[in-house]
Amino acid sequence: MQNMHIRLAARNLGRQPHRTLALGGAVAFSALVMSLIAGFVNGMDAAVQNNVTLYAGGHVQISGYTVSWSGRSQNRASGSEVLDLVRQVVPDVRSATTLVQTRATMVFGSRELQMTVRGIDWKEDQLYRTILILKEGNWDSAAISRPMVLSAQSVKRFGLALGDEVLVRMSTASGQQNVTEYRVVAIYDETAAGGLHAAFVRAEDLRADLNMKEHEWQSVAVFLGDGAQAPSGASILKRAMERQGLKLDGQSRTGAVAGSVSYRIATVQELAGEVGSALGAIRWIGYAVFALMLAVCATGIANSFRMVLLERTREIGMLRCIGFKKKDVFASFLSEGVLLAGGAALAGIVASIPLGLLLSLIPFDPHGDFGAALVKGHLLFMPSLVQMLIVLVCVTIAAILTVVMPARRAAAIAPADALRVTA
Amino acid sequence: MTIKGDGVAIRRFGAHSSLAGKVSLILFAAVLVFAARAQGTPPAGTPPAGTPPQGGGLPPGFMESLKDYKFPDDISKFTGLDFLMLVRRTDIRSSFYKSDMTATITTVSVSPDRGTFVRKEQIYRRDKDDAFLMITLEPESRKGQGMLRVSNNMWRYDPTSRKFTHTTLKDTYENSTVRNNDFRRWQRSLDYTVESLTTGKLGKYDVIIGELKANNDEVPFPRIRMYIEKQRMIVLKVEEFSLSGKLLRTAYYTEYVQIGDSYVPTVQIFQDGLIPEKRSQVTYTNISTQPVPDYIFTKEYLERMSQ
Repeated sequence: MQNMHIRLAARNLGRQPHRTLALGGAVAFSALVMSLIAGFVNGMDAAVQNNVTLYAGGHVQISGYTVSWSGRSQNRASGSEVLDLVRQVVPDVRSATTLVQTRATMVFGSRELQMTVRGIDWKEDQLYRTILILKEGNWDSAAISRPMVLSAQSVKRFGLALGDEVLVRMSTASGQQNVTEYRVVAIYDETAAGGLHAAFVRAEDLRADLNMKEHEWQSVAVFLGDGAQAPSGASILKRAMERQGLKLDGQSRTGAVAGSVSYRIATVQELAGEVGSALGAIRWIGYAVFALMLAVCATGIANSFRMVLLERTREIGMLRCIGFKKKDVFASFLSEGVLLAGGAALAGIVASIPLGLLLSLIPFDPHGDFGAALVKGHLLFMPSLVQMLIVLVCVTIAAILTVVMPARRAAAIAPADALRVTA
Repeated sequence: MTIKGDGVAIRRFGAHSSLAGKVSLILFAAVLVFAARAQGTPPAGTPPAGTPPQGGGLPPGFMESLKDYKFPDDISKFTGLDFLMLVRRTDIRSSFYKSDMTATITTVSVSPDRGTFVRKEQIYRRDKDDAFLMITLEPESRKGQGMLRVSNNMWRYDPTSRKFTHTTLKDTYENSTVRNNDFRRWQRSLDYTVESLTTGKLGKYDVIIGELKANNDEVPFPRIRMYIEKQRMIVLKVEEFSLSGKLLRTAYYTEYVQIGDSYVPTVQIFQDGLIPEKRSQVTYTNISTQPVPDYIFTKEYLERMSQ
């Protein structure tokens, strides 16, 4: 019997192809928009985390602060205790390295620009060599003294070319002013790195510029196999550090003696907080659009089925006369609604995948407000099966709820009255 | 019995009187505290009003050591110690240790990137405590912004957000060639030691040129070169160098005004060493040495004045 209801519903949908197409199209469009929004918000979320990871230099960062002779806290620490602990206790560590970096002012001619200068292991580093796409020059500049890799935008702003020398003004770890020179050996495409603008130099050069000793570092950068595990990894590390008696920020530093060291742990999720809140707004807009689309779907379906009821009153009467029960009429109406809405929603969801991938090919300005939410200057489309199922279920439930009323009215029609009215 | 009874009565009266007196004293003290707070109390760590000068971190004998110091008549005979004492004299003479100082500061900054920018500020200085407060008067868009230094703490105040943010003496002032440190009293003789000396001429003036090296790694400029005019014992020019030895900034003190025992450099020009087109001129006017109330050097006052 159930099979018959579905076949009847399918036949009824085929009887009015234009109307079915129009209504199905509206539902499919709504489902498509919902799926696109969900996919792009997921993509922006992932892009923000990836880009912030790049900016920060890792999923988890442990910064070291040493109390100086005057009682001031300086961003420097030494030894391998923290690095060893990270490797021992944090699960799924892809790489853990010490990092030196500073905010500096680059000076070329009469122009100056503030940017982050990051010291990396020139020979061993694989992370930045893999991520950064070089437009000009190369990393293999062993013969060149004090090499620097700059973003294309910085190079353009300064009017620089490969081989040019730039001055870098910075404060040493203890706060003294220092100015040194670097030579541009490569230019990377910042659009391919989510708008990253850091300048990369040899760690040993920057360490010397910051007046730090060979074994000193400012932070330990930890890359995990799965960035989502950063908060749990950080809390495991925090507990381990506390067990080892290492001081963490938040602990009382009253009476800190010169030479004592404390650490601060930050995760990419914390660092992405600000951009994340902007994404939160987008997510809420997405939910609002979702609700609006659902309401549009429901209204369309309800109106269509009211018309269907008027058109088919005589037919319903005849069906009742040949043995159709009330529940059969109700079930056939409901099946028609579910078939139409479910099928259209499925079509919309499926269509959203190629469309989303096509839209993700559109280039955007990586230096704009949402530069951090882009990947290589493009929006990332990351559809999720769960979200697609939610869209499908929601549209189907909305269809059922809106078809229930016309179906009940159709089932309630007395066969003789139906035949008399339409005769 | 009567006497005893009276005695008890008298003792009890005496006890009541003593308690009432203590309560009155406490109430009076509380009233005083609230009255003082109503005018704006100094922030935590600030010495209470009436506390003798703490010297603002000056070592003992900083002022007294110069009293009987005899400088050589011939500038070619100056030793490192002589020059350091000369620097100390310029430190003391450009500052106001015996009184407070109030002035209007006009800063004109020129930069190839940002063009010309003019600011006018009111400054209150208490050099004996190494404290100062600065409130922006012009331009209108920055009016009410301020900077406060008390007890080695320094804050910047933004009236729009109504928030204080920590800043340091090393920070540059509004991205110009002026540093926060330039508004403070001079104390180069404490931070540097003399490495070498020469003599020369700066314009028409005979000067002693001293190469000084920072005696700790937290002084912003590891090396400076000072040009001091022997006759008036005033600083005419200071070149400041980076750790790598590059010239970072040159300060010119082109005009001085004598106020009491002090010689105030009223026109100061700061030229960037890396971008010579970037420079600033700081001019002091309306200088007064009238005492400044304690509540001026408080966050509350800065907030109130910014409204």
